[in-house]
Amino acid sequence: MEITPDSWIVYDWHGWQLNATVVFTWVIMALLVLGSWAITTGLSSGPTVSRWQIMLEVIVTTIRDQIAEVGTENPGRYLPFIGTLFLFIATANILSILPGYQAPTGSLSTTAALAICVLIAVPLFSITKRGLGTYLKTYIQPSPLMLPLNIVATISRTIALAVRLYGNVMSGTVIVGILISIAPFFFPVVMQLLGLLTGLIQAYIFAILAMVYIASASRAGRSTTSESNEKD
Amino acid sequence: MQIDWLTVVAQIANFLVLIWLLQRFLYRPITDAMQRREAVIANQLAQAQAALDDATAKAEALRDKKAALEASTQAVLDDARENAQALRQRLEDDLHTEMQARRNTWCEHLAQERDDFANALRRHAGHQVIAITGDLLHTYAQTDLSGPLVSGFIARLADLDDQMRQKLMQAAKGTESPALVETSVAFRASAKSRLTRAIHKACATDIEVHYAQDEAIVLGLRLSIGTQTVEWSAAQHLKRLDTALDEVIDSTGITAAAQGS
Repeated sequence: MEITPDSWIVYDWHGWQLNATVVFTWVIMALLVLGSWAITTGLSSGPTVSRWQIMLEVIVTTIRDQIAEVGTENPGRYLPFIGTLFLFIATANILSILPGYQAPTGSLSTTAALAICVLIAVPLFSITKRGLGTYLKTYIQPSPLMLPLNIVATISRTIALAVRLYGNVMSGTVIVGILISIAPFFFPVVMQLLGLLTGLIQAYIFAILAMVYIASASRAGRSTTSESNEKD
Repeated sequence: MQIDWLTVVAQIANFLVLIWLLQRFLYRPITDAMQRREAVIANQLAQAQAALDDATAKAEALRDKKAALEASTQAVLDDARENAQALRQRLEDDLHTEMQARRNTWCEHLAQERDDFANALRRHAGHQVIAITGDLLHTYAQTDLSGPLVSGFIARLADLDDQMRQKLMQAAKGTESPALVETSVAFRASAKSRLTRAIHKACATDIEVHYAQDEAIVLGLRLSIGTQTVEWSAAQHLKRLDTALDEVIDSTGITAAAQGS
């Protein structure tokens, strides 16, 4: 059994290897994009709405509400990033019930890529909103002595994001593989169902944590700005 | 744990592309559709509110119209009541006038009947008195009434006052027409000659005397010389009887009217 889909080489062309992580990621992307395109082609603005449109509206509205509950002022600004994180991870984990499929989130490369995206998005949103100086001041708050600790905290939470998602998904896959060798029928089914639940929970946790990091950076910048104004 | 950095880069690129694609095909269309529907719903709510306001205004206008109609109805009813009251008053006045006119007519008719009745009664009473007197004289004196009538008239001529006597004398001398004696009954010749002599004596002239019978003269006679007339008959008694009857009838009529009202 291959623990990570990175080692599953699907295509090799003159040394350029295409592994299963990228292929399944493309499958997920195609599924999400084509599904969205198929549904949003015939959107209705009238009183009669199709069930598929209602489903998409419920998903988008729920994600936006969750973003708003974190405390941001403009949820629509973060919707594409946070929503894509959740939908990608959730779809990748849900599809794991299909035989022959390996979730890209079970690859540390994928979770690291997502964590790096979050690592970049947090300062990007904060700088866009409050400015570079205000963002950099957050690293020396409440004291310049906290600069190393703040840097370590930023790096560690990025690593924690990547390892948490990878560990949960990979461990589920490993546990199912072990249970198949012990009890081939009953326990794997139960673990697959449990895997669906944990997959959705992990998607939710990843997206919400990313949003919390972004919101905390924005709020820290805002509080720093207001404190500076009070001093002036 | 192994990290394939090439895969990491590829996954970052994939993720960024996925963000763009989903923004293009999912988030923006869905958000726009919801906003359009919200706008449609807001528009419908605004239209509903406008319709509600319009309905409220129309209801208010209808209430005003109803109030005005009720006021107009009340005014019409008041006017109708006033007209009915005026009509009733006019009809009552007309009826009162008509009743008064009928009462006057009835009173006039009653007075006329009373007068007619009084005249008839007087005439009947006079005739009855004459008849009874004649019968009594025939029965007890074996004579008619001409003798007492002539004697009575002669006595009256003798009792005339000087002014009346002078008038008779002047009338007898101033006229060439004969004197006319009208009696209620036919006189005998002896009675006529006695009367003629008495007239000549009273008038101091030998004026020619003619005799005529008039049943209207009740128990007596009338002497006409020129424009002067001397009458002695039961008419005076009848007049007193007539006056007494009038008083009796008047008192009886007043009592009857008082009992009728």
